[in-house]
Amino acid sequence: MSVRLNPDLRNELVRFGIGDWNACYHCGTCTAICPLSEEGFLFPRKKIRLMQMGLESQLESSVEPWLCYYCGDCTKTCPRDANPGELMMSLRRYLTSTYDWTGLSKKFYTSEVWELAWILFFAILVVISFLVVLPSFGYQYTAELTPEGGVKVNSFAPIPIVEAFDWIMALIVASLLISNIIRMYYKIIWKNSKTKVSLWVHIREFWLLIFNFAVQPKFSKCDDKRYWLSHWFLMSGYTIMFIVIVVYLPWFQTEEILPVWDPQRWLGYYATFGLLFGLTVAIIGRFRKKDVKFQFSHISDWLFLIMLTLTVITGILIHIFRINGMPMATFISYIAHMAVLVPMILIEVPFSKWSHLAYRPFAVYFTQLKKHAVPK
Amino acid sequence: MDQKDSIGFFFYNLPESMDGPIDYTALARYVEPFPEIVNIWYYSDFSWNEESIRKKIENHNLNRIIIAGSLPGTVKALFSKALTVSGRSPQSLVLVSFNKYGIRTGKDMERAKALILCAIKDIPYEIAAVPEDVPVNPATLIIGAGISGIQAALEIAGSNNLVYLLEKTGTIGGKMATFDKTFPTLDCAACILTPKMVEVNQHPSIRLMTYCQVQEVQGEAGNFSVRILQKARKVNVSTCIGCGTCAEKCPATAPSEFDAGTTMRKAIYIPFPQAVPNKYLVDAETCIYLKTGKCKACVKACPVPDCINLDEQDKEVILNVGNIIVATGYKTFDAGKMEQYGYGKFPNVLNALEFERILNASGPTGGNIHYRSQDKKGNWVFTTETEKPEKLAIIHCVGSRDKNYNKYCSRVCCMYSLKFAHLILDKLPEAEVFEYFIDMRSFGKGYEEFYERIKEEGVSIIRGKTAKVEEKNGKLLIRGEDILNSTLIENTVDMVILSTGLEPGDDNKKIGQMLGIPTTECGWFEEANYNTDPTGTFRGGIMIAGACQGPKDIPDSVAQGAAAAARVIQSILRGKVSKDISSLTLSEIEKRINELSPVI
Repeated sequence: MSVRLNPDLRNELVRFGIGDWNACYHCGTCTAICPLSEEGFLFPRKKIRLMQMGLESQLESSVEPWLCYYCGDCTKTCPRDANPGELMMSLRRYLTSTYDWTGLSKKFYTSEVWELAWILFFAILVVISFLVVLPSFGYQYTAELTPEGGVKVNSFAPIPIVEAFDWIMALIVASLLISNIIRMYYKIIWKNSKTKVSLWVHIREFWLLIFNFAVQPKFSKCDDKRYWLSHWFLMSGYTIMFIVIVVYLPWFQTEEILPVWDPQRWLGYYATFGLLFGLTVAIIGRFRKKDVKFQFSHISDWLFLIMLTLTVITGILIHIFRINGMPMATFISYIAHMAVLVPMILIEVPFSKWSHLAYRPFAVYFTQLKKHAVPK
Repeated sequence: MDQKDSIGFFFYNLPESMDGPIDYTALARYVEPFPEIVNIWYYSDFSWNEESIRKKIENHNLNRIIIAGSLPGTVKALFSKALTVSGRSPQSLVLVSFNKYGIRTGKDMERAKALILCAIKDIPYEIAAVPEDVPVNPATLIIGAGISGIQAALEIAGSNNLVYLLEKTGTIGGKMATFDKTFPTLDCAACILTPKMVEVNQHPSIRLMTYCQVQEVQGEAGNFSVRILQKARKVNVSTCIGCGTCAEKCPATAPSEFDAGTTMRKAIYIPFPQAVPNKYLVDAETCIYLKTGKCKACVKACPVPDCINLDEQDKEVILNVGNIIVATGYKTFDAGKMEQYGYGKFPNVLNALEFERILNASGPTGGNIHYRSQDKKGNWVFTTETEKPEKLAIIHCVGSRDKNYNKYCSRVCCMYSLKFAHLILDKLPEAEVFEYFIDMRSFGKGYEEFYERIKEEGVSIIRGKTAKVEEKNGKLLIRGEDILNSTLIENTVDMVILSTGLEPGDDNKKIGQMLGIPTTECGWFEEANYNTDPTGTFRGGIMIAGACQGPKDIPDSVAQGAAAAARVIQSILRGKVSKDISSLTLSEIEKRINELSPVI
């Protein structure tokens, strides 16, 4: 079997992150120090080797970059300052772009202008919808308050229309992600001509996917457990918010002000806390640059943090203004909220950093499949 | 030259602090008036690529190029190519390397100008700048009595010239005296070294000065005046019979320096049984009498009257010598700095010098490998009472080839680690030995053959350095990637030996400043020319030899000791020695160039 080399692979990869990866002299310290590296799934050194040799197709069919949670021990102990930890991060960005059949992911990762322009485009679309399109159908801002003194949100953001839009957006994102995961599956499992995995194994190990999505048990194996916790809060907060907004919007976006013990209120508060906690840890970390995982921020890391933070802040503002009967302020913050949220979901989830919410658990699942693979 | 010279002058003055305080504007002012110079460029003037350089050559019609800077060699290829592409000979490129000629500070500006002048006039600096000869004092001082210093002393003394051999510790022999075997021949180190040590002691032309340190060096080539601190031995070397009664009675103990801390010695001690001079000395920091004013057990026990004088004070001696050889050697990397290997935390993680002593028949265990254990006072020492380990691992490159510690290769560790593996199997034939290496550097005569031999002896040689040593059920757990087999191995062993690298001695900087010889960024002494003068320095009458110049094994250290001695003997035979090259003034060099120009 012939193997195709891509001598430009390293030059392509440096567009996805920072590292002097050609400095590596293969001592194996990084693999040895990594608590997540295991028999059959050795990294980071082997991935550096593939990168140095330009073995593009082998690198694309690697599952290992997704198994790394970036504790930074490899970069700290690397005798050559080759920065293996950041290579794994860059490979995750690179792999995201190879799974994506539209080619947009690569554009977003390698061109800041491109990414910002699209974010701006979607934001403007949202603003126009609220200021021009919706009013033309009779849904517009009103200063009238509910009998309780709350803001009439549904007058300018009618639930059936917002909900329908939510579902459309979710369907687009889901179909993109699913098609990319199928490509990922093809590259990692299907294309392997030497081994096969039975259907029964696929079914039997499926629980791993859900379990890993919910808990990230692999992350907790890193020596530093703090980031597992803050990541878990961020993830659970985000997931709850996503579900209530897309699936249960009529229940969540009410004009009536419910008591604090109602699940609508405290679930929202928990999710907000979870998001804020996770975001604070990440933002402070990236500013202080003390831990290796926060030392080399890519533009996509910052954009993601900034957009999510803005979403959370505008969400909190909507809540405060709504229950305190401030219609204009609610109206403005609602538009701002949607103007950040929509581009974030449409760009970050299928094409950029957010996509790891799907790729990581699937990678763990695929790893398990590979372990049970039998020769053809 | 038929055609008139038109020279393009480039200053490769790197930004940041890489260049040190070299005043490039002053140099440019010196260069400007020469009629041959067409233009001067600085590093920051343009982007240094082949295309832009070629354009400059063609636009200014340059036929020669001079690049001056600390490390102009970095851009040599760029310029050679540009010259070739534009139809000129790459030979018309002249490099002026300040680094090569030890020019680092503003004080060296005269020499920098002289170098530039030689380049402009196309006369080799070595021909133009020949310092004058001065009469030489035939006595020689050698600082450091390891194998290199001993070799140099014996060579010079063999020509019946006086040698002062200075040693910081209580005995000569240096690091080699602590080794069991030498690689790759597996000769007994002591059998080679001790006869030389005895010869040094008995040679009529060698004045042995142990327990001494250099304080100050004055004068110049041919006539140095060296102030030496002779630390109080507190035992009379001429009357001490070496019976050891004093040490038997002495109540104070300290870790033995000679045994690399694997055993305890008394406050009055002899470094090792074959020490030269074979006389006792008192460690002032451990002695109870010197701390509290009470004890004197040794004085009471000593059979020779007035031999021990605990109140003896340090004294100073002035020596007048014509040449100095520096052979101060090295120290080993402190493995405790790499916390991940647990040195200092787990008793059975050893550094290389400790393990050398364990293997040595004159060491604490008589050459048998045993676990480290605690003595009654709680000190971790080696005795023969403990069990023997069955699985041993050797980790290469500890503190070497690592940007976090020392970036250079220590050169000897691979070979001594292979030697360790052989000796372990020699002493414990049933044992399993694992070597974790990155690259095996068996570079010398017979070294590769030695490596092949060890591989055949059944040592597991694993490519892939381990990252961590952890304790598990009282044993040591090592996790590592076996790169050649593409597997992850978790190995539980009884003993771990760290192949610690070599570092410049703590005194190197101080001695370098005293003698006016520069050290490299890593701290080794800088030689006059890496290829053609590895034992010379920029100061006339001062030579360097052995591992103080860079990591070195025994054969190379001996060769350098002899080479430095040859230079000294040459000057003694001539009766003259060249002064420092820095003693030449710019006008002297200018004058000489004017004399030479018509000839060349």
